[in-house]
Amino acid sequence: MMSKKKGVLFPYIWKYKIPYVLGLVTLLIVDYVNLYIPQITGEITDGLSSFSLHLEDVVKLVFTMLLFALIIALGRVLWRFFIFGTARKIEHELRMDMFGKLELLSQNYFNSHKTGDLMTHFTNDLDALRNSIGPAVISSFDAVVMTALVLYKMMVYVDARLTLMTLIPMSVIAVGGYYFGEAFERKFALKQDAFAKLSDAVQESVTGERVIKAFVQEDRQDEVFKKINLYNKQKNMDVVKLMATFMPLLDFVIGVSYAITIIYGGYLAITAQITLGRFVAYTQYLGMLVWPMIALGDSITSFSQGRAAIGRISQIFHEIPDIRDDENPLDVNELKGAISIHDLSFSYGEGLPLAIDSLNLEIKQGETLAILGKCGHGKTTLVNLLLRLYDVSKGDILFDGHDIKKLPLKTLRSNIAYVPQDSYLFSDTIEKNIAFGKEKVSHEEIVEVCKDACVHDNIKDFPDGYETVVGERGVTLSGGQKQRCAIARAFLKNSPILIMDDSLSAVDTDTEDNILENLKKKRQNKTTILIAHRISTVKNADHILILDEGRCVEYGTFDELMALNGIFKEMYEKQQLEKQLSAE
Amino acid sequence: MAEIIEEQVESEFSGNITQRLLAYVKPYVKQMVISAILVLFITGFELIRPVLIGNAIDVYIEGYNTPYGITDESDLLFQGQYLTKDLEGCQTFAQLVMAEDQYYYFMNLSKAESDELYELTMEEIIPDKIDDHTILIHGLQGNKLTSEELSTLRRNDFYGILRIGVLYIIVLLLNLICSYAQTMILQLTGQNIIYTIREQLFHHVHSLPLRYFDTHPVGRIITRITNDVEGLHEMYATILIRLFKNSVKILGLAIVMLSINLKLALYSFAMLPLIAMLTYIFKTLSRKVHRLVRTKISMLNTFLSENISGMRLIQIFANEKMKFDEFFEKSKDLYRTNIRQLTIFAIFRPSIYFLSQIALAIVLYTSARSVLDGSITLGIMYVFINYISNFFEPIQDLAEQFSTLQNAYASAEKIFTVLDEKNTIEEKEKPVKLGKIKGKIEFKHVFFAYENDDYVLKDVSFVIQPGEKVAFVGATGAGKSSILNLIGRYYDIQKGQILIDDVDIKELSIQEIREAIGQVQQDVFIFTGDIAGNIRLQNEEISDEKIKECAKTVNASHFIEQLPNQYHELVSERGSTLSSGQRQLLSFARTLAFDPKILVMDEATANIDTETEQLIQDALEKLMEGRTTIMVAHRLSTIQHADNIIVMHKGKIREMGTHQELLQQNGIYKKLYELQLYSV
Repeated sequence: MMSKKKGVLFPYIWKYKIPYVLGLVTLLIVDYVNLYIPQITGEITDGLSSFSLHLEDVVKLVFTMLLFALIIALGRVLWRFFIFGTARKIEHELRMDMFGKLELLSQNYFNSHKTGDLMTHFTNDLDALRNSIGPAVISSFDAVVMTALVLYKMMVYVDARLTLMTLIPMSVIAVGGYYFGEAFERKFALKQDAFAKLSDAVQESVTGERVIKAFVQEDRQDEVFKKINLYNKQKNMDVVKLMATFMPLLDFVIGVSYAITIIYGGYLAITAQITLGRFVAYTQYLGMLVWPMIALGDSITSFSQGRAAIGRISQIFHEIPDIRDDENPLDVNELKGAISIHDLSFSYGEGLPLAIDSLNLEIKQGETLAILGKCGHGKTTLVNLLLRLYDVSKGDILFDGHDIKKLPLKTLRSNIAYVPQDSYLFSDTIEKNIAFGKEKVSHEEIVEVCKDACVHDNIKDFPDGYETVVGERGVTLSGGQKQRCAIARAFLKNSPILIMDDSLSAVDTDTEDNILENLKKKRQNKTTILIAHRISTVKNADHILILDEGRCVEYGTFDELMALNGIFKEMYEKQQLEKQLSAE
Repeated sequence: MAEIIEEQVESEFSGNITQRLLAYVKPYVKQMVISAILVLFITGFELIRPVLIGNAIDVYIEGYNTPYGITDESDLLFQGQYLTKDLEGCQTFAQLVMAEDQYYYFMNLSKAESDELYELTMEEIIPDKIDDHTILIHGLQGNKLTSEELSTLRRNDFYGILRIGVLYIIVLLLNLICSYAQTMILQLTGQNIIYTIREQLFHHVHSLPLRYFDTHPVGRIITRITNDVEGLHEMYATILIRLFKNSVKILGLAIVMLSINLKLALYSFAMLPLIAMLTYIFKTLSRKVHRLVRTKISMLNTFLSENISGMRLIQIFANEKMKFDEFFEKSKDLYRTNIRQLTIFAIFRPSIYFLSQIALAIVLYTSARSVLDGSITLGIMYVFINYISNFFEPIQDLAEQFSTLQNAYASAEKIFTVLDEKNTIEEKEKPVKLGKIKGKIEFKHVFFAYENDDYVLKDVSFVIQPGEKVAFVGATGAGKSSILNLIGRYYDIQKGQILIDDVDIKELSIQEIREAIGQVQQDVFIFTGDIAGNIRLQNEEISDEKIKECAKTVNASHFIEQLPNQYHELVSERGSTLSSGQRQLLSFARTLAFDPKILVMDEATANIDTETEQLIQDALEKLMEGRTTIMVAHRLSTIQHADNIIVMHKGKIREMGTHQELLQQNGIYKKLYELQLYSV
């Protein structure tokens, strides 16, 4: 059972071997004591039947029974904590380790693994896994132990022949249950599939609502849905039929065991081969056998699901992060902010076109570089490479003359402040969003950067000010507000290098001027890279770079580029026109 | 958290849920009644089973001590004597006595001796002398019987047991049949009801105006039709009848117990209030903690999905450690709540078990006392022991079923809220039938807002003659697309009038309008199915030949015929391999197949390679032939083909005329035109 998944799961289980063993021992004790309860009922019946029992003896026996019941009850409390509690603990630890592992993985991994799929490992897979190391352990162990103990009791305390005879129908349950389980799983899968088809159909028709209305297809959609709805109903009924047959049949088979007990057990009692009390106890033992028979089948399913889950989870653990520190990283903690790029080429995968094509660039410390270009022409790729979210395939990137691959990742990233294009914020308070990644920040510092980013006045107006929660659970920020919060977040970092990836697009021009003004004041002697679409954003930059299909097509100061009469000039004029148009 | 918000949003429905839920059962009253009757039988069978065993004990196993008469002729020949239980006319008797779990046979007894021995068997027997083979009681000697001898002697007892055994199996068989029939009938009913509700809901959703879809997320609508309806299923198919069954079972058990022995029954019920109370407390606690767990899980999941999506940012800000700690707190929090839940269960289940054992102990003690004083038999004691352990199960179930019922009600509320959603775009009861639409369109001082007073169209008036081609141009948000939406009456306007062939569209049948209008949308929606199915869209009247013809006309046949399965190539929205140009051509073919009188087109802005671009242009020309065409155009070439160009700016019509006229005006159109030149 454990052989395959030993690698990942075993250390966790081994760590908690003591509660596991304690839990199983408790379970064993509970099962063992449990057997004495029918025996006591039996003794009372016998004693009464032969008049050898007085009321005081009955009282004694009843109290013994209650004592046993108390032990069982306490035991059941204990093994729940030992086994279920431990399974929960392992679940929590695995969850943490999985998250920690994800934090190490690079952008490439997240590109090829959708968030939804990764989430499934944390939800469904972890659930299935916990089930197989918790409840399934209990039910399988219990089933086996209980069956063995009860059978032993039946044979020794009552009668071996009777046990064998009643066991015939009982074994039908175990065998039949197995086949039923298989059939059930098959039909259940079909039913699930039918439901998924139904969901897909609903999803499609609701999403395609416009087309349906435009082509007046409502009635025809009803017809199509009717078929799928019917199919879903039939598949449901298939499962129902199986259950409607199996459950009463199970009851019947168990009943047959009772009938055999009445006839053969009764015969044995009549002929003094067993006593009446043992006959009564036997009927109770029989009742104790039913549950383990069913539980066994269930736990087998749980184990196989758990195994599949750990298989999928292992894939995360076995993933090797493709971007990691060099084996002998340079001992550099601070960057000054000079960046040089030599003959840099990059593509996102084999066979894909070059996103950056033989780029050479020199950014001096304290310089402001603006990058312009159409969407998909390499601007963001360049940023990704500077942040080492991907490793360069050809050429070099040097920070203060150090190769990017030789710098510790931590040094690199803590020396670059970054404003992403999508101004991603987390569902947390505004204050925490801005303090993101920085420990020990005073409220005053946050207010200051928010003022610099021209967002302080907006935040003040929110119901809870800086404590306002962003996103679904709280206030929905406008695109411009989000951008400015993201800018404040980057300002707070006050790093030698700042990269703003098209982060002023949703801000009006006046505010933009203000922010750029503040930027200039604050970032004396610090390097800034501005990616933009608007000429207004870049006009004061020291240098402007125009990227086209990953290549540098124009580079220079504002005046130089205007004089070139090329792409930059054209963009400039187009934007002037747009300005006029919106003024109409 | 998300869940709680959702519930608040959705609980607008205030009607009587129970009544409406029951209304769906109405067509199945017969099935419900049959089901209920079957349940009564099934419960009866369940109750009778321990009674049969108790009977076997009392009459046959324990009933050994009635004396035998010795007679001349009977069916029981034992040790050379004919024995009978019919004592009339018998002079000598025989008696079976049990001592120390062994049976002893006393023969040739006089009436007095027999009576004395019989009396003795009623209490504990203290033999004068006992050895391996004989027993001496009050001077009478009995011989120990072997099993073989006993089985001969007690043949009639065995037959009795056999009869009970057979009866037991018959009861089992009947139970089997009833259970099967009952489950099938009820499940089928439940499935039918679910089927109906789903169909109704699906139909209703599609009859709602687009406005509804603007304000309600698609995901939520889907959940209503799928999961929420599924939530009702359990209620109809199992819960209702189980509630009934368990109530009947509890009542049945109680009645049988009370009628067998009042005092004993009352003692047995002593634990009931405690169990009921404990169950109630447990249910309240577990519901609360269950909700808490769900909230924590949803918070954890939100955190996870957000942080996996934002992992790039976390890594860029080197913020892994802090996020890990935050996640740890969330996970730990969930873990603690899980343990709380575990604790509640861990305490409740064993407590209930212990309480039921106390109840068993009470039954054992009181019934033992009654057996000792002779007021009940051992068989009755057996029945009581058996019943008391069956008593607690239905009580637990009942609590379980009530909470399922609560969930079903929550689902029902959401479903009914959707069903009660009114269609705001209503047809006149007797709409004007145009018969053949010519295609004249007129807007008279139209004002329109999607929301409140936020007008996207302000005082828009224009006339389009049949067969005319009109292009709307303007910057994004100028209100062009809204005009297209209004012609098909997807939204109703606030002020003014829209006329088709000089009739107000509010007077016309929506179906007639929409059938007359062919819509070519910006993003082409692909349905799961094959290419042909995407052209004819469920309309079986459109033949394969027609499809091919249409595809050919709009230049789509070229790429379709290159697909491995041509017109039967499977496509879908998500897994589509079609390029955006191909999608466009496909949608042209779709529109052409439906042969509309009016063409409404929102031109796609997507980048399309020059070759496909030419195919599209050519196809468009053919498509527009003989049709009134209204388009929102981006491509210069398309605009130039128009008979009339209407320039929209900030919700108003600013300029109107042909391409050349407008260029000469040197106004907005000129600027837009120049901008266009730049971006090409």
